[in-house]
Amino acid sequence: MVTTVLFYAFAAILLVAALGVITARNPVHSVLFLVFAFLQSAVLWLLLEAEFLAITLVVVYVGAVMVLFLFVVMMLNINVEELRSGFTRYLPLGIGVALVVVIEIANVIWFRSEGQAFVTPTPHAADYSNTKELGGVLYTEHVFALEIAAMLLLLAIVAAITLTMRTRHRPGLKVQDVPAQVAVRAEDRIRVVKVGPVKE
Amino acid sequence: MLANYLPILIFVIVAAGLGVVLLGIGFVLGRGQKDQEKLSAYECGFEAFEDTRNRFDVRYYLVAILFILFDLELAFFVPWAVSLDAVGLFGIGAMGVFLALLVVGFIYEWKKGALEWD
Amino acid sequence: MTVTIAHYLVLAAILFSIAVAGIFINRKNMLLLLMCIELMLLAVNFNFIAFSRMLGDTLGQIFVFFILTVAAAEAAIGLAILVVLFRNRRSINVDALDSLKG
Repeated sequence: MVTTVLFYAFAAILLVAALGVITARNPVHSVLFLVFAFLQSAVLWLLLEAEFLAITLVVVYVGAVMVLFLFVVMMLNINVEELRSGFTRYLPLGIGVALVVVIEIANVIWFRSEGQAFVTPTPHAADYSNTKELGGVLYTEHVFALEIAAMLLLLAIVAAITLTMRTRHRPGLKVQDVPAQVAVRAEDRIRVVKVGPVKE
Repeated sequence: MLANYLPILIFVIVAAGLGVVLLGIGFVLGRGQKDQEKLSAYECGFEAFEDTRNRFDVRYYLVAILFILFDLELAFFVPWAVSLDAVGLFGIGAMGVFLALLVVGFIYEWKKGALEWD
Repeated sequence: MTVTIAHYLVLAAILFSIAVAGIFINRKNMLLLLMCIELMLLAVNFNFIAFSRMLGDTLGQIFVFFILTVAAAEAAIGLAILVVLFRNRRSINVDALDSLKG
């Protein structure tokens, strides 16, 4: 009973947040709505007893990916009005396509299945560890997928560095070397010269 | 299993309720008369030149990208650490290869100077 | 009335269609397109997790974990491309990407 209430509450917030993502005028608001949508999804995944993925979603997505999106929005000086120029023109088409997709999928799930196929299994015991179960197969059965994921992360590191890094040290460019400035000693800069008395 | 998460649910409800109530009290009891001039950014008597938001430096961006990738690496470590007694030596070897590939990326990043601020 | 897996599937379908509508109406803004793709992947992940729960098979959750990995790498590289595009064109309008048009 409690889970039913929780499901409907968080699902409603999730859909409102998703609508906010696509309709917000300000891109910063869009990103914040998307963060909110991810948080609601994490709760819904908890209700599906996928604890590890729920926490990963919060840590990796809300904690890192959305911060990156926020950085990009704040970094670029985006002309929002120009980008929204086709908004009302494509709105009917967008709504139409969305309705078709929803009706088709709901048709399959609600009416063709006649409620037979989708049974909910019994909840797990209190000491069940989803993370342990995932780890047990991830590093043995799916080890090749794991190594491919590592390869993909390596590729992403290299791609991100080559695309965005600009070295500021062109040859011949004069720059401040702050550590050298801080570490300077008096002897490096001034020389005390003993001057004897001048004789007439 | 879900009962274990009850404290978090209570925390979320209290936090959301507190936020809504405090903002609501301010909204209802506040006597602000907002007009265009009051809400606009103050710029020494001039019209505002641009957005009040400061733009970020691109260098933060590279740091954020690299943070995502190593954050994911850590996410791969958690189930491994939890199920270490189940996966055995094979799992340690698999993780060794995984880690070696990412260390290659780390060395590349270091040598390329992506970790330098200037 | 209890929540069945079908509820989650319909929720995922609605989420996916909102993302599709978002792609249509924010056709010009490349940043919003990337965010709509993230929403679509989220909807797909919902389906995987719901079926994984229904069938009692952890393979679905493993798959979602890899989807999260790929999506994070995709977001990192996609946003890097976006930054380079903005640096060269001073705009993130998709219509500005027509240099290869004959």
